[in-house]
Amino acid sequence: MTQILTIAEAARLIAAKKLSPLELTKICLARTKRLDNQLHSFVVVTEERVLADAAAAEARIMAGKSLGPLDGIPIGQKDIVDTKGIATTCQSKLLADNIPDQDATCVEKLSAAGTVLMGKTTTHEFADGGPSFDLPWPPARNPWNTDHFTAGSSSGTGAAVAAGLILGGTGTDTGGSIRGPAALCGIAGIKPTYGLVSRAGVAPAAFSLDHIGPMAWTAEDCALMLNALAGPDARDPASAMRAGMDYTAQLGTGIKGMKIGVIHHFHETDNKVSAGTQAGIDAALTTFRDLGAEIVPVTLSPLYDWHACGTLISLTERAAAYDEWARTRLGDFGSRVRERLMLGAFVTGVDYVQAVRRRRELRAELQAAMAGLDVVLTATQPEEAPRIKGMAPWDIDRAPGFTMPFNVTGYPAMSICSGFGAGGLPVAIQLVGKPFQEATVLRIADAFEKATPFRNRRPALTEALMPA
Amino acid sequence: MPNEIDDAALNLLLERAGLSLSMDQKSELRKQYEVVAAMAENVRKPRGRTAELAHRYGFTAEDMQ
Repeated sequence: MTQILTIAEAARLIAAKKLSPLELTKICLARTKRLDNQLHSFVVVTEERVLADAAAAEARIMAGKSLGPLDGIPIGQKDIVDTKGIATTCQSKLLADNIPDQDATCVEKLSAAGTVLMGKTTTHEFADGGPSFDLPWPPARNPWNTDHFTAGSSSGTGAAVAAGLILGGTGTDTGGSIRGPAALCGIAGIKPTYGLVSRAGVAPAAFSLDHIGPMAWTAEDCALMLNALAGPDARDPASAMRAGMDYTAQLGTGIKGMKIGVIHHFHETDNKVSAGTQAGIDAALTTFRDLGAEIVPVTLSPLYDWHACGTLISLTERAAAYDEWARTRLGDFGSRVRERLMLGAFVTGVDYVQAVRRRRELRAELQAAMAGLDVVLTATQPEEAPRIKGMAPWDIDRAPGFTMPFNVTGYPAMSICSGFGAGGLPVAIQLVGKPFQEATVLRIADAFEKATPFRNRRPALTEALMPA
Repeated sequence: MPNEIDDAALNLLLERAGLSLSMDQKSELRKQYEVVAAMAENVRKPRGRTAELAHRYGFTAEDMQ
């Protein structure tokens, strides 16, 4: 068995006792050993732990006591997520020796569902900035072309899933850190509604914008992971205290009659995307029409308004979270985080409150615009992955991104692969749902993936490991 | 809001934030002030004094015991 499987495919084979979790795990470990010296997608590979977890999963399954479709599935946890007894460095010199004594809630939940922990995946330092070359660990590389960036900050999970080193993993998203790497690595990633998935035990970036969510090869796999991750948690003060649901239940039911709004001005004028990205969007809209959906144009405030609001909130909350270390150990941060912390000094208390007030207005605007629609659509990233070397050191003045608006509003948002650009690297679309309507987003994403060929192609570097 | 910051104002903000920067770092940071100032200007809209978030404490039965 050398084919790279999705979670759903592996789960079916495991349930039918045609694939053992230990065999699957050993294959993923072998791929990791072969490829991760090029990808740098892991900070730590927990080989003993993953083999023990897999053996335990196999014993459960052989005894007829499977924990469900995630039982025996190799995953990664982003390295800002606490793992009991396993290094959690946040990719930072400040936490290079940090060994948590408790699992984050998302780790507890995925472990309880039977997943096996392959290791801790590379991030940008404290989930900010990047790519950085002045940290104790190198940045992850894009498996479609290792000279190119993965985006971040859930860069290791994105690279490792695309290369088949793991079948899924966690990401965190404060301004696009799940959706960006999902887009540039050609995988699926969903930022759930704010508060649906617990942030307890995860290093903060900006508390009112921080989200945890799954990243995997397909929307179906994300749904399977979200089934385990969603739900109330008293350990997280921002928990929506809302039960999850079966996010796979609507998959395969079609999208005929559904209404998809398109925020054309975001990606056509406010931050004009590349020809390849625009072609992916146009083709996706044709596919959705062919599947019976209605396409409706949507106009919102300019993208810059959402970007300004989110950036001011993010700079301030991050500066507050890391205030003590900024005052006492500023030089121990990498340059990109250090610069963000310095920028926090420019935002006054009044600026922050005005940004929070603006957020309420923007949320009301999106709520009104989505009335009668099922989702809205725009780009995830402006272009294919750029080359990793030579990226500007300061990124505060980059063109406004397409993902921050939905951190500002807390709405669920997902990136899925919509094809490949002129350079052969993936391009993506972003689907945004109404609060707690992840099932609708996943249903539409799944329908798109099954109607298009993009899930059949893996990075060439992984295909080189396959037999002829 | 001015889109430039002079040395005295920059030093005051950095001192207030407790950040000790080199001259080079200050010089680089100063170039970014305009970007943040523009964002701060953007979120200022005519909305009146009462346009506040409804702050919620999330009191539970435990608070009343």
